[in-house]
Amino acid sequence: MEATATPSTQEEVKPGTAKVTVAEVTLRKFEVSDVDAMMAWASDPQVAAPCRWDAYESTEPLLAFIRDVVLPHPWFRAICLESGRPVGAVSVSPTGDPCRAELGYVLARAHWGRGVATAAVKRTVATVFAEVQRLERVEALVDVANPASQRVLEKAGFTREAVLRKYSAVKGIVRDMVMFSFIDTDPVPE
Amino acid sequence: MAEEVTIRRFELSDMDAMMAWASDPQVAAFCRWEPYASTGPLLAFLRDTVLPHPWFRAICVSGAVVGAVSVSPTPERCRGELGYVLARAHWGKGVATATVRRALRDVFAELEPEGLRRVEALVDVGNPASQRVAEKAGFRREGELRRHYWHKGRARDMVMYSFLSSDPLPE
Repeated sequence: MEATATPSTQEEVKPGTAKVTVAEVTLRKFEVSDVDAMMAWASDPQVAAPCRWDAYESTEPLLAFIRDVVLPHPWFRAICLESGRPVGAVSVSPTGDPCRAELGYVLARAHWGRGVATAAVKRTVATVFAEVQRLERVEALVDVANPASQRVLEKAGFTREAVLRKYSAVKGIVRDMVMFSFIDTDPVPE
Repeated sequence: MAEEVTIRRFELSDMDAMMAWASDPQVAAFCRWEPYASTGPLLAFLRDTVLPHPWFRAICVSGAVVGAVSVSPTPERCRGELGYVLARAHWGKGVATATVRRALRDVFAELEPEGLRRVEALVDVGNPASQRVAEKAGFRREGELRRHYWHKGRARDMVMYSFLSSDPLPE
């Protein structure tokens, strides 16, 4: 289960729900003890629907994922709110070129609609270029049929560059993907 | 363009013809590789990369090998990446465009049953001649990817082109 750029986060504000500020969202490294918090989104079929992975049914494979993928990963972070307990994940993964990495993110459904993903992505682009050597470009690929996720990136200051036709297969179906990027000289929006 | 352009599989005996473009700094300028100074490394490339490659072809003009065209695998089965290189003596005559049209027809005929749906080409924004080849061969220009590709010491902006198995092949 990677964090992917295609969660179906609904960013419309529900009545009585205030948007979070960037300051209320923090990023930290994951620990093995976060597995139960992770299970909240990793086991949710609605969260998994647009992602490459299937909802987890037990914690063993999720523990293996944390150990084998998350902990050794060059940039994988837990998205935390006031309590410090993870409510999602954001990752910036290497590609074939050192100047370019791919963003992915996922959020538990209970926290959709409050701008948490947008805040997490803003925090990411504000810090990742200083932390990863030679990185100049963070890109994200979003299904054309996922406008909510596209809005997260637009509000986080990404540039929509192209629609890539029949670009990649997600759950066996070849999809058109929108390519977004943020380069190290782009301004981070407030 | 009067001469006939054909494509065929490479053989080890094509190495000397290959050296004509592989040693040329002007040809190598937009390519990932440095010009070859000797035949040893080129022979290794031919043997270890070209011959076992899933889709790598020699470009022939009136039977003589003048360049290469390839469609390389990517992390996705549906998507292959086009590459082509041509000896400088044959630039400006429509050889690359004719080659790419032929390559698209052949590669989809051979690999669409294995899931190929998209052939893409990434061309440096500073290489208009190669952009024109893609456009005349019927590729769709999808956009510019900023600082996408690390090439000879710098991150470069690239134009992304694609041709789908469902797109009409130009005549």
